[in-house]
Amino acid sequence: MKKDEIGLEEALDSLEQIVEVLEEGKMTLEESLDLYEKGMKLVKLCNSRLEGAQRRIECLTGELPPDLT
Amino acid sequence: MTQIFTVTDLNQRIADRLENDPRLHDLWARGEVSNYLHHRSGHRYFTLKDEGSSISCVLFKGSALSLNFELEDGKNVMVFGDVAVYRPQGRVQLIARGIKQDEGLGFRHLQLEALKKKLAGEGLFALERKRALPLYPERIGIVTSPQGAALQDVLRTIGPYPAKIILSPAQVQGEGAEESIASAILALRGRADVIIVCRGGGSTEDLWCFNSEIVARAIFACDAPVISAVGHETDVTIADYVADMRAATPTAAAKMAVPDVEEIKEGLCSTQVRMMRALWTSLERKEERLEYLKHNVSAKRMYSLARDARQRLDILCQSLDAAQADKMQSLRSRLELAEGRLAAVGPRATLRRGYAIVRSQKGLILQAQDARPGDVLELILGRGRLMCRVLECLDGREELE
Repeated sequence: MKKDEIGLEEALDSLEQIVEVLEEGKMTLEESLDLYEKGMKLVKLCNSRLEGAQRRIECLTGELPPDLT
Repeated sequence: MTQIFTVTDLNQRIADRLENDPRLHDLWARGEVSNYLHHRSGHRYFTLKDEGSSISCVLFKGSALSLNFELEDGKNVMVFGDVAVYRPQGRVQLIARGIKQDEGLGFRHLQLEALKKKLAGEGLFALERKRALPLYPERIGIVTSPQGAALQDVLRTIGPYPAKIILSPAQVQGEGAEESIASAILALRGRADVIIVCRGGGSTEDLWCFNSEIVARAIFACDAPVISAVGHETDVTIADYVADMRAATPTAAAKMAVPDVEEIKEGLCSTQVRMMRALWTSLERKEERLEYLKHNVSAKRMYSLARDARQRLDILCQSLDAAQADKMQSLRSRLELAEGRLAAVGPRATLRRGYAIVRSQKGLILQAQDARPGDVLELILGRGRLMCRVLECLDGREELE
């Protein structure tokens, strides 16, 4: 994973926070929309991480057995 | 007075002494079998040993008939028999008349107990040093044999969970296994968020390397939490005591290591619904306020806020799937309704200065793209309205921005 990419855990955590803030409903329309958009981006990101997950196996001492790649 | 023996006499005398001692008859001796030889004569020869000493044993063909298990090196046994001297060599030996298995009570077991006590004393098994497993590990280290079924079980169980898997190959039985396992564990330091140390089922002998001190210390030295899964449910090794979590099988270890992908997906779905509902509720509330505020606040400001919001909703709508888009569509029309009302009431003053509000049957026209050539549009002026037909739509975006 690249350094700038946020992890699944971080994404799911911030999503949880966003939902809570949104549900509190104390924000302006502008802020709610901002948050909603941010939330949807995170949902998309999580989904794509889960969908697009290729098995990435690395072997510390060199070659992987061919049936595992 | 000094007596001079021939060697034969000496051995005879020793033999007489030992073989006539009732305490060296009908005795039980406990130890581990080594140098086992099943002679083609049918007699069995082996050495019985513990950590400090050893003694030769013979099980003659006739007595061997009563054996109800296979004798082999490394087995802990209880031998019943008599002490005798093999005169040609002056060798003291135990003539076995019966042998039974000594499950786990041999000296190796005692050694194991001693090691356990030592490591426990040093705090290697302490509950308070057990680390929690990460919820969403991104790097999963696996220490096992690349050829073993255990690895396949673990990989299958991790399934589609998106993590990098780092295999640190180890030899999990036989000579040198302890060192191999320990260095494979240590090689993962700084490289994994959670480590699974595993191998499939096997004999106690096969699993013994997981009872070694060097493996225990390697697990202890790990910077990531370690899940151990050695053998089957009933096999518990020292590795299991030191590890942060013990799993009954490699499959169970993998289940502990990663969350269920389907569960996360369901969670994401319900998160979307919750966000949508929250936004909806907040929009409803905003609409009520709009109703109230439109008399008191600059219409122009409200108008531009509403317009921005509508554009953003448009963009959002595109990104949602059909079911959600329906909901969003309805949010949008409610917003447009509010806009329309606002437009009708608010901007009179502006209109009187020469501006116009343009709308079609579909709603307000805010940009050239909102209309198509041939559309009929309504222009609301400072006084009165004009019904117009569009000749051409020119996208003037670059001039405005």
